[in-house]
Amino acid sequence: MTEERPLLEARQVFKGFFCNPVLKGVDIALLPGRVHALLGENGAGKSTLINLLSGALQPDSGSILVDGKPVGRFSPAAARAAGIAVVQQELSLTASLSIAENIGLGAFPRRFGLIDYRALHRGVQEVCDLVGLTEPLDMPLADLALGRRQMVEIAKALFRKPRVLILDEPTSSLSAHEAGILARLIETLRKRGTALLYISHRLNEVQALCSHVTVLKDGLVTADQSLSGIDGEGLVRLMVGRETGDLFPPRAAASPGEIRISVEGFSAGMVHDIGFSACAGEIVGIGGLVGQGQEDLLLGLYGAIPASAARAEVSGKLALPADVGEANAAGIVYVPADRKHEGLVLPHSIASNLILPSLGRLTRNGLRDRPAETGLVADLARRLTIKGDTARPVQALSGGNQQKVALAKWLPLDPSVLLLNDPTRGVDIETKREIYLMLRAFAAEGRLVILASSDTPELVHLCDRVVVLREGRVAAALSHDEISEGAIVGAAMGISAAPQGAAA
Amino acid sequence: MSTSSSSRLYGSVQLRRNRGLGGLYLVVAAFLILYAALFPGILSIGGFSKFTQNWFPLALVTMAQALLMLNGGITLAIGPLVSLGAVIAATTMEGTLGVPGGILAVALVGLAIGAVTGAIVTYLRLPAIIVTLAGSFIIGGVALILLPRPGGFIPDWLSTTLAGHTPVAFLLLVVILVLWKVFLATPLGLGIYAAGDNPVGAFRSGVPVERVKVAAFALSGLLAALTGLFVAAQTGSGDPVIGTPFTLNSIAAAVLGGVGFLGGKGTMRGAICGSLLLSVMINVMFFLGFPPVAQYIAQGLIIVGAVAVPELLGTWRARR
Repeated sequence: MTEERPLLEARQVFKGFFCNPVLKGVDIALLPGRVHALLGENGAGKSTLINLLSGALQPDSGSILVDGKPVGRFSPAAARAAGIAVVQQELSLTASLSIAENIGLGAFPRRFGLIDYRALHRGVQEVCDLVGLTEPLDMPLADLALGRRQMVEIAKALFRKPRVLILDEPTSSLSAHEAGILARLIETLRKRGTALLYISHRLNEVQALCSHVTVLKDGLVTADQSLSGIDGEGLVRLMVGRETGDLFPPRAAASPGEIRISVEGFSAGMVHDIGFSACAGEIVGIGGLVGQGQEDLLLGLYGAIPASAARAEVSGKLALPADVGEANAAGIVYVPADRKHEGLVLPHSIASNLILPSLGRLTRNGLRDRPAETGLVADLARRLTIKGDTARPVQALSGGNQQKVALAKWLPLDPSVLLLNDPTRGVDIETKREIYLMLRAFAAEGRLVILASSDTPELVHLCDRVVVLREGRVAAALSHDEISEGAIVGAAMGISAAPQGAAA
Repeated sequence: MSTSSSSRLYGSVQLRRNRGLGGLYLVVAAFLILYAALFPGILSIGGFSKFTQNWFPLALVTMAQALLMLNGGITLAIGPLVSLGAVIAATTMEGTLGVPGGILAVALVGLAIGAVTGAIVTYLRLPAIIVTLAGSFIIGGVALILLPRPGGFIPDWLSTTLAGHTPVAFLLLVVILVLWKVFLATPLGLGIYAAGDNPVGAFRSGVPVERVKVAAFALSGLLAALTGLFVAAQTGSGDPVIGTPFTLNSIAAAVLGGVGFLGGKGTMRGAICGSLLLSVMINVMFFLGFPPVAQYIAQGLIIVGAVAVPELLGTWRARR
């Protein structure tokens, strides 16, 4: 390619949500005829960057340039007009409309104000041939399997004849055959001079398809370079490694106690046929990319979704808890990731949220025992360093303090197993530190903490052992010295990074 | 690409929309046959005219309701809008405006009220059910202020034309359905489905989701107000509360026709069949001498059944 001017460019873009910076001065330039890879861990800011490039979000500062000219207020419509198309992970399709209508939606050819079905048919047939969609074009989308819908989504992007095509995890629901078609399609588009941005967690795909890579870490660009001469482990190295300072409490050298949870052939939801065990006094981390079955694993152990196991031992019983009540009775509690909807009653006071799980026990003659409740609330507030008046509604607290309340309310039940789903997501550094101290204290008291987390440093520095899930299976089970960011991210992305040191 | 195969896309897309409605068509046909067997009068022009005149207002309000339900909304203001339409028709047609002016006034008021409601729901991001509930009180109140007790004037010739012994109402319904088909062949019309099923996706695809929503509310208001005009012609005068039963009947008919509450699910043809079914059921039960209370109970049971049966069939199929 002789032309070297970027078709689409972001310069020093900053973007934050609710005082939480996500992108801190990011540059990226998409050149015609080049397949550009965008890599980064969960929460590195990839989705935000795509949304800025496609006009779905506005940068706080910095600029987006099309053909070298800065655009003022960028919108999805303006992006489309500039020839930018995005294949999002979340499909933009309508189940009740036909394949053809879905592909044309928002860009229908018209005649006399009506949809020109004849022109639509021609255009749609063309892009469907490109992506290998052989289904009848009048077929309602509802009849298609997820992989085929993804192909429709890709065809829909092509129908707009894009100069810049952004593909966000396009292969996550595709079969090998469909992924092959997509790979050939990308090559065709590249030769035609389309600028492509390719986001994927499958590093082998990235290496096969892309020639240039931008790596994001914590909202900053850590690499913007050619992909030639860099292997999978090199890419992983670029993605990991973060200054953690004294965020994490020192790991106690306590020896683990008796086995609290031990399962073999465990399946629940996405999780398929896995085995692991965990002992009292341990913090066991569940890692992996977003949505690889971490939540299903916790919910299955909690009896909240149907689960099965070839052999199970949970809190001394030789069976999985059948339902949530049984799990609670066995001393197992679950703190959901979505604290606003599942974990707390937001408009109610801190105090009433704290006593909610204990209401049944704190009664006298079937009536609520106010003095006992007050004592309990005061005790919990002190132990959790929840400052201020506990009569305030929970929604007045910061995210981190809300999370502390969601955790603390279970303590009066004296749980022996805590299942925590991403407890520090969206939590500020100070509160994170407090939560880590709490979790360490729980383990020291002989409780078992199972912690699903999308934050890799947290898994490395807090957990005694880490189980990495990938597509519902155990990709790696790491303990003590084996645990490193490289090992976790490598396993999560399907690269068998040889662990240093012997297996424990 | 041959011309014949290209123009076939529109036709085959239309045919596919009948999918899942076979059962409904059968039930409607069975009820119609039962009705014709019980009351062969329906087969004469006069009988057919009367029958379709009974059905026509329900068909229109069902369209008004289904339009919004397909778009992911709902309206509780149908009944009061029908009343207001009737009141405006009965109070304007004898004045200087005359019949054309009266029809125009009804149409404009319906469109405007619908558009304002839609704008409130869309741009202030308020739930449609609450806004239209509040709207129903306001609109009903205005109708009662304009015409505190039944009265007003509708020219006899208009009543005879619309609700006489000729199937004009049926022809009007056909015209309205054709117009709906045309609307559905515009990007805006298809946008109603898309914005109802997947609003975020539709927005990202370039559908002007907000404009689509406002347009849906405006058209719904227009249809409801015109229903009021017809009802006024039918009764020969304006009645400020005549529309009340239509609110819930419009929802019932749309649900009978397979329109879902969450948007994007269902078809207008299904909703029309639902209104026909409801209308025939009410007539059959009335002529069979069911006491009114039993009618209501039977109506309720049939609606629950109509929603539950496909659901149960679905789980039964999934289990096999």
